[in-house]
Amino acid sequence: MDRNATQYLIVGGSAAGMAAAHTIRSHDPMAPVTVLTDETDKPYFRPMIPFVVSGKKKSQDMAMEGCGPYVGKDIFVKTDSRVVSVDTDSHRVFLENNQVFNYGKILFATGSRPFIPPDIKGTESNGVFALRTLAHARKMNARAAQTQHAVLLGGGLLNLKAAFALLERGIKVTLVVYSPQVLSQLMDAEDAVLIRNALDDAGLEIRTGTAAVEIESDNSGVRGIVLDDHTKISCQMVCIGKGVRPNVEFLENSKIKLEKGIVADIHTACSQSDTFAAGDVAVTHDPVSGKPVMTALWTNAVEMGRCAGLNMAGLPTAYAGTFGILNATQIANMPFVSMGLVHTKDLDCEIFRSGGQGSFRKMVFSSDGRHLIGMVLIGDISNAGLYRHVIQGKKLVEKFKHHIIGHNLHWGHFIK
Amino acid sequence: MPQPKEIFVKTDRCVGCMSCMLACAVEHSQSKTLFGAIAEARAPKSRLYVEWAAPDRKIPLVCRQCEDAPCMHACISGAITRNEDNIVVTNADKCIGCWTCVMVCPYGVIGRNMDTGKAYRCDRCPDREIPACVSACPTGALIYETVPEYSKSIRKQASQEFARAEGE
Ligand SMILES: Cc1cc2nc3c(=O)[nH]c(=O)nc-3n(C[C@H](O)[C@H](O)[C@H](O)COP(=O)(O)OP(=O)(O)OC[C@H]3O[C@@H](n4cnc5c(N)ncnc54)[C@H](O)[C@@H]3O)c2cc1C
Ligand code: SF4
Ligand code: SF4
Repeated sequence: MDRNATQYLIVGGSAAGMAAAHTIRSHDPMAPVTVLTDETDKPYFRPMIPFVVSGKKKSQDMAMEGCGPYVGKDIFVKTDSRVVSVDTDSHRVFLENNQVFNYGKILFATGSRPFIPPDIKGTESNGVFALRTLAHARKMNARAAQTQHAVLLGGGLLNLKAAFALLERGIKVTLVVYSPQVLSQLMDAEDAVLIRNALDDAGLEIRTGTAAVEIESDNSGVRGIVLDDHTKISCQMVCIGKGVRPNVEFLENSKIKLEKGIVADIHTACSQSDTFAAGDVAVTHDPVSGKPVMTALWTNAVEMGRCAGLNMAGLPTAYAGTFGILNATQIANMPFVSMGLVHTKDLDCEIFRSGGQGSFRKMVFSSDGRHLIGMVLIGDISNAGLYRHVIQGKKLVEKFKHHIIGHNLHWGHFIK
Repeated sequence: MPQPKEIFVKTDRCVGCMSCMLACAVEHSQSKTLFGAIAEARAPKSRLYVEWAAPDRKIPLVCRQCEDAPCMHACISGAITRNEDNIVVTNADKCIGCWTCVMVCPYGVIGRNMDTGKAYRCDRCPDREIPACVSACPTGALIYETVPEYSKSIRKQASQEFARAEGE
C-alpha cells in the first residue's frame, strides 16, 4: 500500500476542483495541493467536448492547464486515481489502486454523471452514449464515422449541443423528447417557440411527447430504437441526455451527511471537520427561492470551488448561492439566456413578454412587482449580466423597472 | 505585477459625440484608418458604448477590469485571461461564442460578433501608448491613469451605484 500525505486534497479535477486548487495556490503559495481524478485525461473544459464529437477540435484544445484563470503553479494532478472511501476521523482516503492519502483538508468536487433511465432496455449496447467526459466524446466521434442516423433521448441543452455536433458531420439526427417542448428545464413551452423554429430550420427532427422503450442491437452495435407509441426508428447511435446524478457513492459508508448530494453549509463546509464540497455534487441554496438546490452548471461549480478554496486556505468566505438555472448559449444561430425563476405556470408573479422578428423576452417579477426574479432572453441577450446582478442582488426595481420591461437597462442608469 | 492603468469616465464632461466609439472601431479594424474601416466587409465594432440616461446624460461604458473578473472565471473555454500587463483579455481563437461571459458581466461591455461567433471586449489598445478612445475624446471625459485603489473598489462601487439608484 502506497502512503501519501498532502495538506490540501481535492477529489475531482474539473470546474469546482481546479477552481479551488488555483484559489488555494494563490493564497497559500507553498502548501502541497493534490488533485485526484478518476479520468485518464488531465483537467479540461468539459462544456467543450461536443467539439470533439464534431471533429472541430482535438482533445488537447480543451486542456485547462495554463488557460483562463488556471495558471497557478505546482498543483499536483493525479489521473486514473479513483477514491473509493473516506475516513474523516483519521483524515484518510482510499483509492481503487490501493493507494492511501492523508490530508489536512479535503474538498469533494466529484461532480455528477448522466442518469440512465433503468426502464429503457438495451442501454449497455455498443453505440449508446451519455456524453459527459472527453473519453465519451472520443468514442462518440469514432462511432459517428459509421452512423447515418442518430437518435437522441431528451431535449435538454446537452442533447441539443450533441445534436448539432452530429448534424455538422452530416448525420441525420432525431430528438425524442418526453416533454411537450425542447429545453423544458430552461423555459416554458410557449417561450421556446423561436428556438424550436430555429431547430426545425436547422434540419433537426424532433418528436415530442414520446419516450424510448428499448434499444435494439446486434453484434455491430445499435440497430434501432422502439418508442412507447410502438414506432421503430432504425439508427446506429443513441445518445441519452436525461439529466445528471451526483457522484456520492464513495461517501456512502462515511460520516459525511448526504441528501442526494453532499450537504454544504454557507461556508461550503460538510458535516465533518476539515471537509468541504463544491460544484455539481454539492447541495446548496437558491438565493431567489431560498430552497436547497443542486446545480449542473460550470459557472456555479467554478464560483463555489473558488469559495471553497478560500475557506480551505483559512479565509472564511460565505457562498452567495446560485439559481439552479443560469444558462447562456447559442443554439442554431439563436443566442439565449435563461436565469432565475422562469417556469411561471404555477408561480405567483408578474410577467412581461415581448417578441419580434428573431427575438423574444420574458421578464418575471415577484408578485408585488418590486423584484426581478427571472428572465428568458432569446435573440437579443445584451446586458444579460446586468439583469443577473439585479436578480441575484434582490435589487428593488421600482426606479428602473420600465427599462427592464423595455429591455434597455444599462449600467449608465446607475451612475450619478 | 505592473500597476494597470485604468480608463476613467468623467460623466459630467461627456457630450455624447461618440468620437470614442468611432476611434475604437477604427483602431480595431483591419486597416486602422477611418476610410478603410468603413469599406471593410465586416463592419468594425466599438468596444465601448455611449449610453443615454434621462433626462439628458451621456455615459460612456467600458470594461472596468474587475479585480475578480467574473467573466474570466465564468468562461467555459478558458478564452479569458489576464495578460502580462495584468489586463483582462479575450482570446478570439479560443472563444466558442457561448455568451456565458455576457451573462455574468454586470456592466454589459462584452460584445457579440454574430459574423464570427466570437465575443469581443476592450483590450486597452495593445499597440498604443494611450487607448484610442481616450485620445479621441475632445472634452477630456475619458482619462487613462494609474490609480492603485481603483480596481479594488470596483465591487463596492457597483453596489453603491445601485444603492443610489434604488434609494433615490
Ligand atoms: C457536453 C456538456 C456541455 C456543458 N455545457 C455547459 C454550459 O454551457 N454551461 C454550463 O454552465 N455548464 C455546462 N455543462 C455542465 C458542466 O460541465 C458541469 O456543471 C461542471 O462540469 C461541473 O463541474 P464539477 O467540477 O462540479 O464536476 P465535474 O465536471 O462532473 O467533475 C467531477 C470530476 O470528478 C471525477 N470523479 C468523480 N468521482 C470520483 C472519485 N470517486 N474519485 C476520483 N474522481 C472522481 C469525475 O470523473 C470528474 O472528472 C456542460 C456539461 C456537458 C457534459
Ligand atoms: S466582468 Fe465585465 S467589466 Fe468586469 S472585467 Fe469582465 S468584461 Fe470587464
Ligand atoms: S463567449 Fe467566448 S469568451 Fe465568452 S464565455 Fe463563451 S467562450 Fe468564453
